[in-house]
Amino acid sequence: MSSPGTPALDQRTRAWCLAAAAACVLPLLLQVPPTLALVIISVAVVGAALSWRRPLPVVVRVLLAGSLVMLVLATMQFSFGRDTACALLAAMLAAKPTETATRRDARSLVGFALFAPFATFLLDQGPLSLALGVVAALLSLAAIQRLADIESGDTQTQGPALRLAGVGRMIALGLPFALAAFWLFPRLASPIWGVPERALSRPGLSGEMSPGQWLDLMNDDSPALRARFFGPVPEVTRMYWRGPVLLDYDGRTWREAQWMHNLPPAQVRHGQPAWDYEIALEATDRRQLVALDLPLEAPPDARMSIDHVLHVRRPLAALTRWRIRSAPPVAYEPELKVTLRRAALALPPGFDPRTHALATQWRREAGTDDAAIVGRALQWISNDFGYTLETPLPGRHAVDEFLFDTQAGYCEHFSSAFVVLMRAAGIPARVVTGYAGGYRNPIGDYWLVRRSDAHAWAEVWLEGTGWTRVDPTAAVAPERIYDTLADRSPGAGFGEFAPVVDMADWLRRGWNDFVLGFDAARQQAMFRPIGVEASPWKLVGIFAAIAGLALALTSWLLARREREHDAVLRAWHRLGRRYARAGLGRAPDEPALHWAARVAAAREAGAPELLVLSQRFVHWRYARQKGDATVAHALARDLRVHRP
Amino acid sequence: MARYGQALRTRIASLARPRRREPLPVRFDRRRIYILPTGFGLFLAALLATMGLGALNYNNNPALLLVLLLAGTALTSLLLAHLQLSGLELVAVGGEPVPAGTPLPLRVHARASDGRERRGLRVACPGAQATLSLTDGSGEAVLAIPTERRGWLALPRLEVSTVRPLGLARCWAWCWPATPVLVYPAPEADAPPLPPGSGQSARAKLQPAGDDVHHLRGYRRGDPRRTIAWKPSARRDTLLVREYEQPQGETLELDWQSLHGMPHEARIRRLARWVDDAEREGRRYRLVVPGVALGPAHGPEHRHACLRTLALMPGADGNEDRG
Repeated sequence: MSSPGTPALDQRTRAWCLAAAAACVLPLLLQVPPTLALVIISVAVVGAALSWRRPLPVVVRVLLAGSLVMLVLATMQFSFGRDTACALLAAMLAAKPTETATRRDARSLVGFALFAPFATFLLDQGPLSLALGVVAALLSLAAIQRLADIESGDTQTQGPALRLAGVGRMIALGLPFALAAFWLFPRLASPIWGVPERALSRPGLSGEMSPGQWLDLMNDDSPALRARFFGPVPEVTRMYWRGPVLLDYDGRTWREAQWMHNLPPAQVRHGQPAWDYEIALEATDRRQLVALDLPLEAPPDARMSIDHVLHVRRPLAALTRWRIRSAPPVAYEPELKVTLRRAALALPPGFDPRTHALATQWRREAGTDDAAIVGRALQWISNDFGYTLETPLPGRHAVDEFLFDTQAGYCEHFSSAFVVLMRAAGIPARVVTGYAGGYRNPIGDYWLVRRSDAHAWAEVWLEGTGWTRVDPTAAVAPERIYDTLADRSPGAGFGEFAPVVDMADWLRRGWNDFVLGFDAARQQAMFRPIGVEASPWKLVGIFAAIAGLALALTSWLLARREREHDAVLRAWHRLGRRYARAGLGRAPDEPALHWAARVAAAREAGAPELLVLSQRFVHWRYARQKGDATVAHALARDLRVHRP
Repeated sequence: MARYGQALRTRIASLARPRRREPLPVRFDRRRIYILPTGFGLFLAALLATMGLGALNYNNNPALLLVLLLAGTALTSLLLAHLQLSGLELVAVGGEPVPAGTPLPLRVHARASDGRERRGLRVACPGAQATLSLTDGSGEAVLAIPTERRGWLALPRLEVSTVRPLGLARCWAWCWPATPVLVYPAPEADAPPLPPGSGQSARAKLQPAGDDVHHLRGYRRGDPRRTIAWKPSARRDTLLVREYEQPQGETLELDWQSLHGMPHEARIRRLARWVDDAEREGRRYRLVVPGVALGPAHGPEHRHACLRTLALMPGADGNEDRG
């Protein structure tokens, strides 16, 4: 709103405010879909340029804002999540410069723009976002300062570099308070309200899987989790990070069986060794964790369902860390209940007749030997199947087409077809999704699992051992792996940069640990070494005390006089203060030699030295030659050591 | 509602330091410096509180860090605003007398010895404001104080304030100088010409339409209409007045008693006008008011003495306090 009461902006102030707003929106734009970001940027630039001299007509402004909102909603498929809200904020801020005519408008622009970095942190909490956020804050404060300067009526204004330096100094002076509050202000142990979910979810592990759908996910090199082991580490070929277990199949898509989530964990006899590890799980916006096959028990705040999937109450909207113990199963649910058995055998009628025929034939030939059927299927895969990411769109009988026509695909196809084949042969089977393998970062000694490590495998229920993991994809003969991720990844063939990548990921992990991971529990732990059990109220007290000290430090730094730059003068003034404590201070207008004579008259001790020093000082001050740095140095030193 | 607000403001103002007039110089210390957030400051505080609450709820550490960084800077800016005033010294205020009704330019001289940069301080009193910037530790602001009546004008409380550095809070301090300033009486607007002079070379009359036109000058309030030079005025698009050469050496007698029958204040204004006229025409004059006779003389000092006497004359009811 342009308010007639406040004066119009001059061009330079306007430029400052627009720059600040742009800096605020930039980190947010990096988080919205790129095409939308481009549109928002162009609208902002064109709008600012058109309204530079005079504000645009109201009709144009309203139309502009309205169409931007519609565009954002359309891009977000008209569903409302926190990413929709963020994109809307960016769009509104892009339209705002068109109506920024007065000082008041400018202030509200900068104020609302400051929301943008915070909105960014709801979507991404990386160091880049924070760095951009700090830059945005710096520019915003500079713009606010410029507005205050204009308001004060002083015509003399600072240049940009000086102004930024001044604001930077102000931020630095506020740092003691900010850090004290960051470490000591009592944190909430659990959120009062939950994070709104995203409208557009990133491709990732979810409660369902349709073969052919994971291509985006498998091209996504960003980290899914980082794990640190305490004690034994499983071989990388046995690292199966168990995620959602999919039981229901409709001929096209595998889904979780929701009714199973509330059943207590199935009976397991665990083998050796047990792995003890901590995972730092990146935000997924899902309510499930992944854990090594098979977790022994649920960590605090999580719950284990019958299929040993770990569930949490709230969507994982931020990085979380979990300490889990897992061990390979020796016998996993050896007694399968009838309802579960029926569910693990169910197949939709009218799909994949050739697979059913083959399964019936195999069953006839193998008799009751389930393991033989499993072995025969793996042998077939090893002999005839290939691995490729290039797969045709499936038709009606997706499994038939895969098994008998294309005979090439990736983990989704293999696991899906394998499970269908097993069920058709009367063996209870299910699809397990998650991640397979990992990369050990030599820097920092931890394991990194990327989103591209997403994998789907199968579990078949066998007499005696119960659910048994079978990875049909791993059965593909190595010579028939055609088109893989390694061929597609942009970094393929840049092995020599591996240390740089390792280092970058290690730094990111440090950021996750020390910045993102600081929470109520760690705050409590911080005081344990000094023997304080920090209850929230005690924390409030400690916080108040330290914050008070921090503010005192800031005010002391601010209030002390400008430090004298010249070492000799500084030492001279200190000397004067030392004598002042003895009651013989130098009056401000008293000549040095006069003062020394007065002191000499008043007391015996040290008087000759003071006289000599004063003479040297006077000589240095008023009869100085160029290049006598050594003289000044010696004089300053002597002045410093002299005591009354 | 507005009336109560006004009453409340007056009440608060009466509690604020200083509570009585004080001699200069005055040094601002923390006991008399006040600070309150501006509207923008409150807006930003609400913004930061919202964001801080959200960040705490989601345990979103980067967001919290940024909120705290901004909050820390805001607190620093409050301290800086305080330091803009703290240590500032108002050394002197003063202004040349002006006729009542015209604003009096009050010069406020300030100084600070700590080398801190102080710019864009606002000096204000009811009806006037000015900007004060210190260079090399001293500076001056000129406040145009409205005047209404002749006599001693007691200065109102002067407020020195700043919104710097960030405009989040307004920091202010009051100074209430004890020194009054003098306001001359307002000269009568359409006064009759000066009374005839006396003395050796006194002529019988002035020459209202005489031949010896000395020069033309700009119209001043109170110039007789017949002296306006209409033709040159039309050419120049501004009113011009013919000024006649006046005979020198005759002494004017500006006597209170000669204005017998006029109201008290009107007499004073007429005399003030005549003093100005006589001074402008460069004539010697003598002012005679009850109890005082000044002159004959002329020149700025004499004029000041006369106008001061007139300004400080007791009112019609005999009440001497004109403040």
